[in-house]
Amino acid sequence: MKRRSWFIASALVLAVLVAGLSAAAVSAKPAKRSAGSIEVLSLWGGSEKDAFLKVTDAFTKATGIKVEYTSARDFIPEVRTRLAAGNPPDIGILPRPGFIGTLAQQNAIKPLSGLGLSNAYMQQNYSAGWLKLGSSGGKIYGVPAKANSKSVIWYKPDSFKKYKFKVPRTWNQLLALTKAYKKKGLVPWSVGAGPNQSQWTLTDWFENIYARTAGPVKYQQLFTGKLKFTDPSVAKACRIMTQIINNKYVLNGVQGVLGQSFVGGIGDVFGTSPKAQLYFEGGFVGGIALQQVNPGLVPGKTINSFRWPTINAKLDHPVVGAADFAAAFKDTPEVRQFLKYISTAAAGTIWTSTGAVISPNKKVPGTAYPNILARGEARQIASAKTFLFDGSDLLPGAFGDTWGFALQDVIQKPGNIPSILSTFQNKIAGQF
Amino acid sequence: MSTQGLPSPVAAPPPSKGRGEGLLSAGRRFQGFLFVLPALLVLAIFLIYPAYYTIRLSFYEGDFKFNPVHWLGIDNFKNLLTNDPDFLDLSKFPPSGALINNLRWVVVYISLALIIGLALAVLAVRVRYERAVKAAIFVPMAISATAVGIIWLFVYSPNPDIGVLNAVVHAFDHGVQPIAWLGRPGLVNYALIFAYVWASTGFVMVVLSAAIKGIPTEIMEAARVDGAGEWNIFRRIMLPMLSLPLSVVTIWLFINVIKVFDIIYVMTGGGPGTSSRVIAFTMYEETFHNGRPGYGAAVAVIMLVLIAPVMVLNVRRFRSERVIA
Repeated sequence: MKRRSWFIASALVLAVLVAGLSAAAVSAKPAKRSAGSIEVLSLWGGSEKDAFLKVTDAFTKATGIKVEYTSARDFIPEVRTRLAAGNPPDIGILPRPGFIGTLAQQNAIKPLSGLGLSNAYMQQNYSAGWLKLGSSGGKIYGVPAKANSKSVIWYKPDSFKKYKFKVPRTWNQLLALTKAYKKKGLVPWSVGAGPNQSQWTLTDWFENIYARTAGPVKYQQLFTGKLKFTDPSVAKACRIMTQIINNKYVLNGVQGVLGQSFVGGIGDVFGTSPKAQLYFEGGFVGGIALQQVNPGLVPGKTINSFRWPTINAKLDHPVVGAADFAAAFKDTPEVRQFLKYISTAAAGTIWTSTGAVISPNKKVPGTAYPNILARGEARQIASAKTFLFDGSDLLPGAFGDTWGFALQDVIQKPGNIPSILSTFQNKIAGQF
Repeated sequence: MSTQGLPSPVAAPPPSKGRGEGLLSAGRRFQGFLFVLPALLVLAIFLIYPAYYTIRLSFYEGDFKFNPVHWLGIDNFKNLLTNDPDFLDLSKFPPSGALINNLRWVVVYISLALIIGLALAVLAVRVRYERAVKAAIFVPMAISATAVGIIWLFVYSPNPDIGVLNAVVHAFDHGVQPIAWLGRPGLVNYALIFAYVWASTGFVMVVLSAAIKGIPTEIMEAARVDGAGEWNIFRRIMLPMLSLPLSVVTIWLFINVIKVFDIIYVMTGGGPGTSSRVIAFTMYEETFHNGRPGYGAAVAVIMLVLIAPVMVLNVRRFRSERVIA
């Protein structure tokens, strides 16, 4: 009897050990995907994701390589966790040049020149400005995948017609338009900068104002750590921002701004029961409004955009914009093929024909854009005398978010602007 | 011979025979150890080693693979407690920061959940549709915290066409501006706490109501015969007899609340600004967002330090109860 229970005990232990070891052995090797497939991680959802899937479908048709698409809105933690676990995606689409630099320093992503995309090839398809943004330490890491202008304001042409309003060219005209709407008993603006990760819309407000009041040189210095956030020009731009984002002119006041999301804000203006008249965010608003918020919209009639007005006539209209870059975490033949494919004009044409994105690829023809909203945006990017990259995306690590949080404080307590800015400066000092 | 290996039908232990006793018990002890070994292994791999690693990491600056690289001593803790206004800010009154928010959660969440849960448990027993009431209150327990978060995002929406709460406000006063429940730093924590109370009151109610059913009816009847009012019965009989389940539930709530993360991640992302961050959220934010695993580990250690004494208390309490029983 004794021997028997000994036997059971040791058999049990052995069984558990074997099970444990084999489980460990399985998990040590990341699950093997069928040959000829790659995983692409990005933060796109909704219409932006649909547009990208059209491109990947065409890629699969052409090469037989399957593309597994993973969407992570909160992409920085996702990328970091998967890197730490030794299981990064094959390709990540990264919206922040600042983060590309961080990853490149850690050797987590591969330079393109080693993946069969020579610098000369990249220069044929993209302008130097775009390539520089996807570079770190003199090497190109990111294929500029899609671009957007963030210097457009969305309005309702039919309402402008009804009240005989004109498209404003200067900040004062924009303020006058705001007041005129208010006088008609309408709510001029909706701003969605609220719960859970919409604070970035405020950073875009700030950037457009800052570029137009402090100029491109200071803009570049501020977002690359060469100018402090305590510089008087920053506080001045914050104050100008609160000329519109205040309890008088935005839907439900400042608290409403903090309670509304980015997409929710689009719905406030262009939804089926609209409550406000103007919305500011990048060119991608068009795609989201038409495809997600209200398919009944007619571009040019019930929705259109005008470019951000000038504030200081001398500084003109710099275009603030953003782009997403595709970078490789692994080097496989499939990854090489995919990067090559999305850098072609053919892929760019499929992509832009969806109306959701603007291609930074020089070889994509203007006729590829499906409607006047997208065409206007593409023209703006192409003809920009000064193009400035979204500043908050240039900040290191996740400081782009922290800056948005600081601006949430700014609109709530315009009286505390200097102390809010010095707190932020303390946090970011030494991070560049 | 052939039946030798079969266990005897009556599994009586062989009467001990002085000689070889010690030897047998040593063997037995080892055998017992073998039986718990698998459980110990699992504990060691998934609990003890990670805890040790986290504690070690909290004294270092970590790299992106979570390896400790620079020894920092207690700098991480010093920074957290004295130099990080998002975690603890004592310079203003009232103090703020994730730690203070968590304290707010401890006080408000635990007392609300206990009071509402206890009231429901006591009152539900007295009505005929007890089961229906209990089922309705318990349902949120079956919903994942993510779904709870989404549901309450709708409830709190500043758009009166979507947000129930603002629709109610709007119905009473058309002129009033909708309230952004999650947009006000002073309100957001309470809005989150209330959503979480909604989700966990059911558990409190079920545990307490089972305990109430376990109170012998004779005692209550005797009290009634002696002329005790319902309030006195509740205060002098029910409450003392519920003290064990109450303390167990309180500890459960406490541990729950120190760890709270999911609902905040879904509903506010710690915002507006950083005003609804709690300890666990700070740990996530620092580790995975800001890429500072060492600093994040220090936050985790603080969390552990806060929870550990309560756990010890709980285990002790269980032991003493068992002895009494």
